Amino acid sequence: MTEAVATLPLAAGDRVRRRHARSVLGALALSTPALVLLLVFFALPLLRLFWLSVDAGTFLPYEKALTERLYLTVFWETFKIAAAVTVLTLLLGYPVAYFLATTTRLWQFVGFAFVMLPFWTSILVRTYAWMVLLGRNGVVNRTLLDLGLITEPLPLLHNFTGVLIGMVHVLLPYMIFPIYNAMRKVDADLVRAAEGLGAPGYAVFRRIYLPLTMEGVLAGTTLVFILSLGFFITPALLGGGRVAMIAVIIEQQVREFLNWGFAGALSVVLLASTLVVYGLVHRLLRPRFAEGVR
Amino acid sequence: MSRGRSAGTDLALRNVTKRYGAVSALTDVSLAVEAGELLTILGPSGSGKTTLLKVVAGFELPEAGIVMLGGSDVTERPPAARNIGMVFQNYALFPHMTVRENVAFPLEMRRVPRRLIEEKVARALALVELTGYEARLPTQLSGGQQQRVALARAIVFDPILLLLDEPFGALDRKLREQMQLEVRRLQRQLGLTTLFITHDQEEALVLSDRIAVMSHGRIEQIGAPDEIYERPANGFVADFVGESNVIAGRAAARKDGLVEIELEDGARICVAGDRIPDAGAEVRVLVRPERLELASDGAAINRVAGTVVETVYLGTSYKYRLRVPGGREWLVRRPVRAGEAPLAPGDSVAVGFAPGDAHLIAG
Amino acid sequence: MKRRTVIAGLGCVALSGIGRARAQSEPPKPRQIVVNASGGAMATALRKAYFDSFEKEYGIRIVDTSPTDFGKLRAMVESGNVEWTVTELGGQDAIRVARMGLVEKIDPKIVDRSGFPEQARSETVYTSSLYSTVLAYRTDVFKPGSHPKSWAEFWDVKKFPGARSLRNHPVDNLEFALLADGVPLDKIYPIDMDRAFKKLDEIKPHVTVWWTTGAQPAQLLVDKEVVLATGWNGRFYDVIKKGAPIAIEWNGGSIKEGTFAIPKGAKDAYWGQKLLAWMSDPKRQAVYATELGYPGPHLETTKYVDPKVAPQMPNYPENLKKQFWNNKQWWDENGEKAAERWNQWLLKK
Repeated sequence: MTEAVATLPLAAGDRVRRRHARSVLGALALSTPALVLLLVFFALPLLRLFWLSVDAGTFLPYEKALTERLYLTVFWETFKIAAAVTVLTLLLGYPVAYFLATTTRLWQFVGFAFVMLPFWTSILVRTYAWMVLLGRNGVVNRTLLDLGLITEPLPLLHNFTGVLIGMVHVLLPYMIFPIYNAMRKVDADLVRAAEGLGAPGYAVFRRIYLPLTMEGVLAGTTLVFILSLGFFITPALLGGGRVAMIAVIIEQQVREFLNWGFAGALSVVLLASTLVVYGLVHRLLRPRFAEGVR
Repeated sequence: MSRGRSAGTDLALRNVTKRYGAVSALTDVSLAVEAGELLTILGPSGSGKTTLLKVVAGFELPEAGIVMLGGSDVTERPPAARNIGMVFQNYALFPHMTVRENVAFPLEMRRVPRRLIEEKVARALALVELTGYEARLPTQLSGGQQQRVALARAIVFDPILLLLDEPFGALDRKLREQMQLEVRRLQRQLGLTTLFITHDQEEALVLSDRIAVMSHGRIEQIGAPDEIYERPANGFVADFVGESNVIAGRAAARKDGLVEIELEDGARICVAGDRIPDAGAEVRVLVRPERLELASDGAAINRVAGTVVETVYLGTSYKYRLRVPGGREWLVRRPVRAGEAPLAPGDSVAVGFAPGDAHLIAG
Repeated sequence: MKRRTVIAGLGCVALSGIGRARAQSEPPKPRQIVVNASGGAMATALRKAYFDSFEKEYGIRIVDTSPTDFGKLRAMVESGNVEWTVTELGGQDAIRVARMGLVEKIDPKIVDRSGFPEQARSETVYTSSLYSTVLAYRTDVFKPGSHPKSWAEFWDVKKFPGARSLRNHPVDNLEFALLADGVPLDKIYPIDMDRAFKKLDEIKPHVTVWWTTGAQPAQLLVDKEVVLATGWNGRFYDVIKKGAPIAIEWNGGSIKEGTFAIPKGAKDAYWGQKLLAWMSDPKRQAVYATELGYPGPHLETTKYVDPKVAPQMPNYPENLKKQFWNNKQWWDENGEKAAERWNQWLLKK
């Protein structure tokens, strides 16, 4: 661009520059509604949140959030659950996405219906459905007892397991769709090429298919991880109160104690640590060719 | 990368049949590619050439028949265990790997020691003149360069067979011709046994040691390019490879190694033929447009009067469409010569051919 | 257009004329007042028990809005633009609104609450209903009569084995722990947190679910996830009505109030007071109780409801004397500290 402009006569260079400026302005005009929307519904509330947390003119809420054992433990537990949920949805979602991306149209339709089902159901209904299934006298335990596979009901509900099951179920579509999308874009010839070049099945997967679908994995894990961090109803209901999530604490501070400052500080800490984790994961997993394209 | 393998058959297909549901993609196909030979599978789309390639590469299992590679039966062997170097239509370079990683991939899969990999990759890239591009990603290369990488990747591990699946389709004409010559040079230099798949007859004629013409899942003819062109086995081959004038008639008499053929309108022509058909048999006579002579050229036994319908200037030659008796049209091709005015539509001209320039095919 | 305005104006004059004729000292009647509450089933009950008859009596239309929102109330009062004539208050807001000066006092000359228990006669908020956090048990596991009859027995896992459920919140639980530890009903407050948490340590391993929503404990009992649970009486009443093998033990129940108040600076505050007065009638409260399961506080309410239903009400005289009134003042002052300690305690392995 610069080279071209330099060799052009001045007037023409001006024209090029002007045209360039106009196209930038045009793009700006086109994206204005989106920018305004982002500003109003995202940037401003975020700023306000931060403002609330330092409203008293001190960083005391932050000191409390970052030093008190209770909050550190809850942060740690929240991240641990989010990580566990992310790993589980990935392990379950990847094969499902592969199935959907490679099967016949009919099975694809059936598969998508199943994946979408939790999407169409309210989170409360889904959660209560799990309570019916997983309880001590729930369908799962009763079936296993009747089959004689167990003698005591399994503790599937009101603990870490219950929260994991419920959250994985709710979040699975968020993992499956981006991965499915990435898989659809993989050229089947690349897989054939790798096979033809002597790669056994696992090597084709590890060296070719996985890296090529990594972008989807990355999008899926990011989405699920971040959504997990903010989870609220499912852990409260399926965790039996034993699984602490930071969102519950933040909500309590706002609703019960009107403690906007401290809630703001907790939120900002959550946001900051989320960004750090996000950055780390991306640095680790970001496929190289994605940068090469630009 | 040097071969030093003794002459013999590197690839053989025996009575291979492949069906997709009710559709037969390959019917009883037999084929042998000799060591160091470049054999082209030529056919229109839907002729079964891609299926043939998939069966050879191991991506498809045939219903019947066997595939022999380097002397062993590989019919049921997975692609990874066949040792075939393949260049895909769209190159199928791994987009997340650099040029070096792409070319090293088949060697790594064969657990070649690291140092040897470096060496072989460097040599392969030198062969395709891409030294210095090792760290690039495929997206940072031109189409021609991508193809060279694909080629280097396909030959770096000394495969028994090189499979080329329409590799020049995506290139513009000039680059395509350049790459064709380069592939030919490499193939000869390394003595690579090569199976080349294309629908482009010109390309097939330029590159091949032998050509197998396919249609509807069958091989119509296998032979050297000039054989295919000059002596097509049947109407399909004649029509698909190059332009041709086909004249239908009935064998009438033989004399002095010539066959006299009676046309529908009663006219008679003489054709030289090694296979002499029975009198009365239906035959077709094939004459290539460049073998037709205009009256001014002198000698002409089989001569008719024609009228120019259309004149097309092709740079090195003129192509004329002539109307001849019996309501037929013939194509004639004449080289452009200095001082020679082309014929114009409406001109009357005598046209004919020597008996040896025509080819007799079964009706 | 103009003409219609004139007619409407005339109507107004006529109405206020009637009003003046009835009671000279009364401020003019507005055409409507706004009552803000939780909405849902409660809105229907309010309308049926109180609003319809109030409208008919006074000719003032009641516009009902929802939901209750402390932040909005504060913003309204602070900006001086108060839309609500009367508003319901969220559970923990009753003390807070008084402390922050967001509400008018209840006028004893208009609202007669002499029939209310003294705990339900706050200066600043009007108690509209009562509910209680009580002990509930499965009748097929513990025969009524030989069921846990006190918090001490709830704590006794040897005599009454089985899974229990408590609310995931310190409120009520600290009180129950103290009662289980032998503290008499009238000596609960101020709560000795150390003592309460120490007693809670004992029951912690036997609590399988710390519930968070009001519907949970009844459901847990129905599903037999637990055999003993605490919960709000109305929720248990609901499943008992449907025939679930569940019963309530009122002993040691923790009574709380649903409250209404008049925002400071509300237009037509006088008519707000009049509405509260209308709502303080025990017969009307009985209608409300039958409709919703939560009775008004008037001690005579239970006389006017179905005698079979009356024993299921927290202010049924038999029940009332076994329970204690949850001290909102204490919780307003110590709630945050208690919640923090509760969260920490629950996380401790």
